[in-house]
Amino acid sequence: MQKKLKLAVAALCCATSAAAQVTGQTGHTTDMESEQAFTFTEAQLGEDADMTDNVIIVNSNSNIYASEVGYLFSPARFRYRALDQKYNEIFINGAPMNDAESGQFRYSQIGGLNNQSRDVEYSLPFESNKFAMPALAGSNNYNFRPSHYAAGHRFALSGANRNYVVRGMYTYNSGLSEKGWAFTGNVTYRWANRGYVEGTFYNSLSYFLGVEKVFNDKHSLALVTWGNPTERSSQGPATDESYWIANSNYYNPYWGYQDGKVRNSRVVNDFAPTALLTWDWNINESMKLTTALSGKYGMYKSTKLNYNNSENPQPDYWKNLPSSYYNVWEAGDEANTDEALANWNKAYNFLTASKANRQINWNRLYAANRGASAQGADAMYYIQAKNNDQLAFSLASSLKTDLTKNTSLDMGFVLSTTKGMHYQTMEDMLGASIYHNINTYALGTYAADAEQVQYDLNNPNAVVREGDRFGYDYNINVNKANVWATYTFKNDVLTGFISGRVGGTAMQRDGKMRNGMAKDNSFGKSGTARFLDGGGKVGVAADLGGGSMLTLGFGYEAKSPTASESFQAPEINNNFVKNLKNEKVMSSEIGYQLDCSWLHANINAYYYNMTDVTEWQQFYFDNINAFSYVSLTDIRKEAYGVEWGLDFKITSAFSIKSFGTISEAKNLNNSAVRYMNSNLGVMYDDICMNKGMREYGTPLSVYNVGLSYHAGGWFIDLNGNYYDRIYLSYAPNLRYQSTLEANGYFDGTDYTVPEQLEGKGGFMLDASIGKSIYLKHGQLSVNLMLTNILNNTKITTGGFEQSRSDVSYKDDGSVNKERTYKFSRNPKLYYAYGINGMLNITYRF
Amino acid sequence: MEKAKYLLLAIVCLAFAGCMDGDWDEPSTTPSPWGNNSIEETNVITIAQLKDKYSSVFNASVDQAVKVDEDLQIKAWVTGNDVTGNIYQQISVQDETGAILIGISQGGLNGYLPIGQQILVNLKDLYVGGYRKQCQIGAPYNSGIGRMDKFTWQEHFKIIGDIDTAKVNSLITDFSADMDMFENCTKLMTFRGVTLSEADGRAAFAPKDGSVALTANCANRNIDEASNVVVRTSTYADFAAMPMPTGKVNITGIFTRFNNTWQILLRSDKDIQPAE
Repeated sequence: MQKKLKLAVAALCCATSAAAQVTGQTGHTTDMESEQAFTFTEAQLGEDADMTDNVIIVNSNSNIYASEVGYLFSPARFRYRALDQKYNEIFINGAPMNDAESGQFRYSQIGGLNNQSRDVEYSLPFESNKFAMPALAGSNNYNFRPSHYAAGHRFALSGANRNYVVRGMYTYNSGLSEKGWAFTGNVTYRWANRGYVEGTFYNSLSYFLGVEKVFNDKHSLALVTWGNPTERSSQGPATDESYWIANSNYYNPYWGYQDGKVRNSRVVNDFAPTALLTWDWNINESMKLTTALSGKYGMYKSTKLNYNNSENPQPDYWKNLPSSYYNVWEAGDEANTDEALANWNKAYNFLTASKANRQINWNRLYAANRGASAQGADAMYYIQAKNNDQLAFSLASSLKTDLTKNTSLDMGFVLSTTKGMHYQTMEDMLGASIYHNINTYALGTYAADAEQVQYDLNNPNAVVREGDRFGYDYNINVNKANVWATYTFKNDVLTGFISGRVGGTAMQRDGKMRNGMAKDNSFGKSGTARFLDGGGKVGVAADLGGGSMLTLGFGYEAKSPTASESFQAPEINNNFVKNLKNEKVMSSEIGYQLDCSWLHANINAYYYNMTDVTEWQQFYFDNINAFSYVSLTDIRKEAYGVEWGLDFKITSAFSIKSFGTISEAKNLNNSAVRYMNSNLGVMYDDICMNKGMREYGTPLSVYNVGLSYHAGGWFIDLNGNYYDRIYLSYAPNLRYQSTLEANGYFDGTDYTVPEQLEGKGGFMLDASIGKSIYLKHGQLSVNLMLTNILNNTKITTGGFEQSRSDVSYKDDGSVNKERTYKFSRNPKLYYAYGINGMLNITYRF
Repeated sequence: MEKAKYLLLAIVCLAFAGCMDGDWDEPSTTPSPWGNNSIEETNVITIAQLKDKYSSVFNASVDQAVKVDEDLQIKAWVTGNDVTGNIYQQISVQDETGAILIGISQGGLNGYLPIGQQILVNLKDLYVGGYRKQCQIGAPYNSGIGRMDKFTWQEHFKIIGDIDTAKVNSLITDFSADMDMFENCTKLMTFRGVTLSEADGRAAFAPKDGSVALTANCANRNIDEASNVVVRTSTYADFAAMPMPTGKVNITGIFTRFNNTWQILLRSDKDIQPAE
């Protein structure tokens, strides 16, 4: 371990070759660092498909900014260059692992597999690699070959106060036997009866089994399978008013008491068993062919408390909050009567009288359901689940060829087919006796006997029991093909690559219910949308001498829209988003690196420009008590910024470092919007005034200073990070031209567009201390990671504007009156965890 | 390989680790988790006595509301609620002597206040008043009576026993247009053998298409047989878009008043049945 640490420190502090700037990296930061990065990520982030907090893990051996920020800034949900995670492409043994529908990779799929995830080939956006054209936010290729794992046992026990509190991990690797066999196995269990946030639990098993046969010098075959059945409950965002009432920024409205026991309404069950067969063929000394066949069956279920013919039972529903009675923002509001103030006090006193009062009262829900059933009415409250299952296969092959000593050509293809199965199920009727598969949002707009209120005309008025599918049921089929090639070269001064790819995507919806809102366009298969896309990248590094290096990169790519953003209202009909196109992405970067005995420095500047971007979202639109399905098209965006990484080597053991970025990422135009609401089923076209809206849920500016001491088996790091310019997800519907006109924000010439709301940044101090000890038999490592030591609980990690207007409307759409409650001033927020830590004890033998 | 067996064993054992969000036992809901179970039955008066006591308030020509400052209680059955969305943030309660509305600023009342549920209401510190002479318990709104907040309401009522639909059915009486409005308003009654004037097989109760004038999101539909009676339906009612039945019908509902007009609030579309 000591040796490894020294090597790793040396790797960070010493000069690296020019080649490393633009060609593939096998990513090895220190063992502990990668452990921290991975553990932090898999423990805290990217696990909830509803949250926009996915991080991007990039890494690099040469660019110290990229090598550090992935985990260093992850407590603030930092995303590399503020890019969507779909631009970060993950491979395992060359097989693509990003979800074909969303384009994103969820790290929870390899959660608990820390030991298997160490060996990674990373490439930054303008670094070539051996497995694909480098992606816009970098590409990672994990090596899951049993013969590559160091032989022996490894047992790790961890305690934490994060999403889980205990983790046990056991790994056994046989190493490669004389007969050419290698076996590997891992089992990890992570658990919390209560995680960092009250009301959350965590229960996850991870397994990994692999066998590899090396037949001879030329051929080897590896079969690995892994998965992690996980059951966990979630934290919900809340407004600052709720956090203030609860006296905690970790107030969680998703749970409540049922007969005195804590019950969370949002439970996720996630299990995606995956198998991967890899064939390596060393054709000759300069050619190697790697072929990987993967199969996955993913099962994802996420529950939620829903209601029918009632008020939202969420305990932080706005009508429960004091400020819905008294306008706390304008004391002079004429609605602020003595009675209003008295009601403010009643609400406040109720919510602060006991913790139970500000959580879900499950017993009341059961009682109300029994009352509803007695009247013959459908369940008033129930637990439903969103199910996203997926069957996916991929075949990927790459041929690596060293053309000459200084040139190489890598090329490959990827074929994949995915069937995503999306349906809603009834999980718990909470004591009610009946429920029907009826669109209750449309009742009233349409008569009870109208076709439009039927979710499935093939089974009208179907009785829904626990376990039954209702509401929606459809498949999304996606087939993809991609070919790529990368040519790399180097000479005494220049190192470079040129890479290109061409791909095709076909997607289709296959409806399993005949929705009454679209009776001729919801059951059965839609047409097939086909996209041809591709692009190229070039990167060059010039050695300027004296340890200086200049790097340049440029790319242009047409990228097909993902299936997740291609259907207008997939829960209802087969319609594709109108005006669906490939998005075009221009990317460029210039960098300077200095390497000398006392300093390693990287400074990079980048500029990305995207056109024809499509975004899609669905949300519950309070104004109309229905869901709204929204597609935004023809969006133009740009992202630019500077990044720095400085490592001042004060002594052989002690360094002072600084990392940071100042960036911008925003929309350049007002986009076309089309939306459909679930209570009417009619499409509306409008313009969304979202010009200038910024990428959200990630700090756009981050500043860091770190101290690092690595010597004598000790490993001590202290980092101060300042996060700033964290924007919240903006609500498009508040910025439709028609809405602005109705609300009086249009003077006949100009629109007054609400500013995008911003979260709070702040300072966070993190530390890590580790020690490795060689024992008579084996090696013991102890590592303590502490995050947010100063317990700054005021840093926003993300959130969103509430979609509801501050005004109520008349039936004709004109403004009725101002509401007392100001939705525009009450965004739903998440805060970074206060002081939290993790202690790892690892024993290897 | 021997060691790999331990690994497999560990996996198998852990695979049987139980899930944490298992099946939840249904909680007991007796006594009810809604309302205030500490209210003791002490000073119960009938609804008729209540109306008499505050007759000048209920009948005032200009709407008013007064606070009940005595320890008074009423004990009554819920006869109408928001189960179909036609009655909004109100329930009607009735005992053997009379009926009254209770205004509560809350949705989903019908779950814990289903038709047939008996409740005890502690009136002290609540307000009583008239809205265009319709008697109601609630809170002041402008100078008249409106809905009380849900926090106050939860402190002032108690659920008694189980739902008794038969009891409520036994309270139903026949309506006649010349009844005493003060005495009978809010009662659950049936108007027999009448015709909805605008019913033509297509016209709905309360459409939002502009075909009928709306007041406070409600449509009034006339009855051929009585000029001072209307069927009043909210556009938010589940049956708002249903066509009104034609021919002679029996209409059951909560007979509220708006000054001297009877306004029948249907509790569901099943409240209208063909006249035999």
